[in-house]
Amino acid sequence: MARIVGGIGISHTPSMGTEFDRGVKDGFDPRWQVWLDGTRRVKDLLAELEPTHLVVVYNDHLNYFDLDNYPTFAIGVGSSFRQADEGWGRRDLPDIPGDVDWGIHLTKHLVENEFDMTVSQDLSIDHGIFSWLPYVLTPPWPVTITPVAVNMIREPLPTGNRLRSLGKAIRTGVEAFERDDRVVIVATGGMSHQISGSRFGIANEDLDKFFLEKLPTHLDELVDVPLTEYMRLGGTEAAELALWFAMRAALDPHAEARYSFHTFPQITGCGALVLAEPGLVSSSKES
Amino acid sequence: MHSPPLTLEEPGTILFTAERALEGHCLNRFALSLRDDQNRQSFLADEDSYMRRFNVADGVRQSVAERDWTALLKAGGHLQAILKLAATVGMSLWDVGAHNAGCSAEDLRNASPRYVSGLPQGRF
Repeated sequence: MARIVGGIGISHTPSMGTEFDRGVKDGFDPRWQVWLDGTRRVKDLLAELEPTHLVVVYNDHLNYFDLDNYPTFAIGVGSSFRQADEGWGRRDLPDIPGDVDWGIHLTKHLVENEFDMTVSQDLSIDHGIFSWLPYVLTPPWPVTITPVAVNMIREPLPTGNRLRSLGKAIRTGVEAFERDDRVVIVATGGMSHQISGSRFGIANEDLDKFFLEKLPTHLDELVDVPLTEYMRLGGTEAAELALWFAMRAALDPHAEARYSFHTFPQITGCGALVLAEPGLVSSSKES
Repeated sequence: MHSPPLTLEEPGTILFTAERALEGHCLNRFALSLRDDQNRQSFLADEDSYMRRFNVADGVRQSVAERDWTALLKAGGHLQAILKLAATVGMSLWDVGAHNAGCSAEDLRNASPRYVSGLPQGRF
């Protein structure tokens, strides 16, 4: 049977992606060099977890979905997921490989557990995944991914409690999959930032560091804080931190925090957290 | 620049409420059509008639012509949709943000990150 081996929380921003491309070509901007350096350990730890599949809880930014129909929760089911054109063309990165068996299984499991997912059979994905992906994996992408998109665009947003429940349902879904896959759950969003209104550029590093410190051991207390409090203190887009609840809830309560990192390159708090399941052994020793 | 206030009031924050989502439906449909390169070219060739195809209201078309980003957000444009428009006309997130903050894009760049402090209350 499949099992969860670890979890990662990580920020995303469009500039994280474009600065990667520019950095590889011409050298990194000093502010983004810090992020590159900080994510080397994430890349190594992810490799050590030896995942064969990732479930990524993310949010689209009106690049695939639009307001004619806006799903609260959607799941990508397909053999590959294209990169969305966000208005300035696509970056030179390969499509993300999917796994139809995982997509069908997780959809069925989530719906049976009362998460009424919108099923996207032709999903294209924006910087929500593509911006951080090359920092932690090298193309051609070595693992398949099931993307789960959460509404962070239009009020009302799902509650923190609902995202915690989603994480728990993803866990039982992974454990019910009849293949010996090793699965890492990734949540991406936040950290503190606001990119409209006169509060544009707000930066609450204390909040970001507090969140990274508390998430491994104080999930329930963080869920009890209304999303509007995260928005008030960290900017409207800090609501995306709620996505990290799904990742944390998908892992064992005693999951071990292996690494956390934070920097503020420009207008988005950029953080990363790596958790590992307790009692983890490498795949070579498992069989 | 002054420190951003820790409130969700306007003009500090322009929330994309359900009411704004409805009001801005045609504007967002138009702006999101610019995710397609061919549409970007059509729009740039004749902005006004392109927007009319999406039933964008007179006043809103005027705001687009004036690059009045703040008015567009208040008229129900979602920032992520308005960004497609900004990108199409060769402007950036910084131009939109600066217009919202009432300063130049350069001043905003120099002021960012705009540090604040504050933690949520709870049983931590």
